[in-house]
Amino acid sequence: MTAPQTDTKPNGPVAAVFVATGIASLVLGLFVTLNEMSPDINNFLKFDAAYGIGSGVGPLSGKVVLATIAFIVSWVVLHIMWRGKELDFRKVFTASLILVGLGFALTFPPIFLLFEPA
Amino acid sequence: MELTEREIYTVLHGLILGTFFLLAFGGGMAGLWSLRGKLLTEEGVQERTPRLLIGTGVMAIVAWLTVITGTFIAYPWYRATPPEGVDRTDPGALIDFPRYLLLAQEKTAGWHEFGMEWKEHVAWLAPFLATAVAFAVAYYGVQLIRRRDILRAVTIFFVLAFVAAGIAGLFGAFITKAAPVA
Repeated sequence: MTAPQTDTKPNGPVAAVFVATGIASLVLGLFVTLNEMSPDINNFLKFDAAYGIGSGVGPLSGKVVLATIAFIVSWVVLHIMWRGKELDFRKVFTASLILVGLGFALTFPPIFLLFEPA
Repeated sequence: MELTEREIYTVLHGLILGTFFLLAFGGGMAGLWSLRGKLLTEEGVQERTPRLLIGTGVMAIVAWLTVITGTFIAYPWYRATPPEGVDRTDPGALIDFPRYLLLAQEKTAGWHEFGMEWKEHVAWLAPFLATAVAFAVAYYGVQLIRRRDILRAVTIFFVLAFVAAGIAGLFGAFITKAAPVA
């Protein structure tokens, strides 16, 4: 996915944060949906009860903490991998937009409620 | 004429941070849009860059502050459970329990089932998107004008951050009107 060098800074670090944003959005959307699908996952996501993160927040605490961790970890890892590199930004941005779009769709109640057990 | 502690907080969360968010979006968007001009000089770009950095940076910070305070301070008040013995079908008994107040009436249940369920999740996309934008602007600075591909992507993410926050803010205003956290 590398591209020719330009006379500006390499785009690797910016590509890293864009893809990390897509990953975080998808992780959030996935946990929103999984929370509806499974009582066990619903209980797992109650980070307020398990770890004292946000008393009374319920499973939303786990969803947002995990999405934020996914954002930070993927940003750091991709930044290290792509530092100093020039990537094909069109591909990177398209992938990021798809991930953000999936995350956005999975936060939409008529979609994630489709996965609620009957 | 007085405000409760919770009302003061919700004003801070929705009105004050929301206003800063809108101002930062306006400043940032104006800065990004002005970089599209083909006749911009190096001096012109240098003059615009600080405004762009401030606009995108403030928007990212405010987005994080808004979702963190909204989720970890206001949301528990919203979803507080009525104690044993309170009739969950009687709206008059549920004034202090906004989630249950909305669900107690068919005409307001949708504000929770659709509005709050969407708002509490979609809002969290805004800080991720806004952080990516702020980082890209800070990283490239005046070079951004020579990176049309990055500039276009940054502008799209910036607008998406605003849309995500706008959905959350709009539903927040409607839900607060239907069932205030007081």
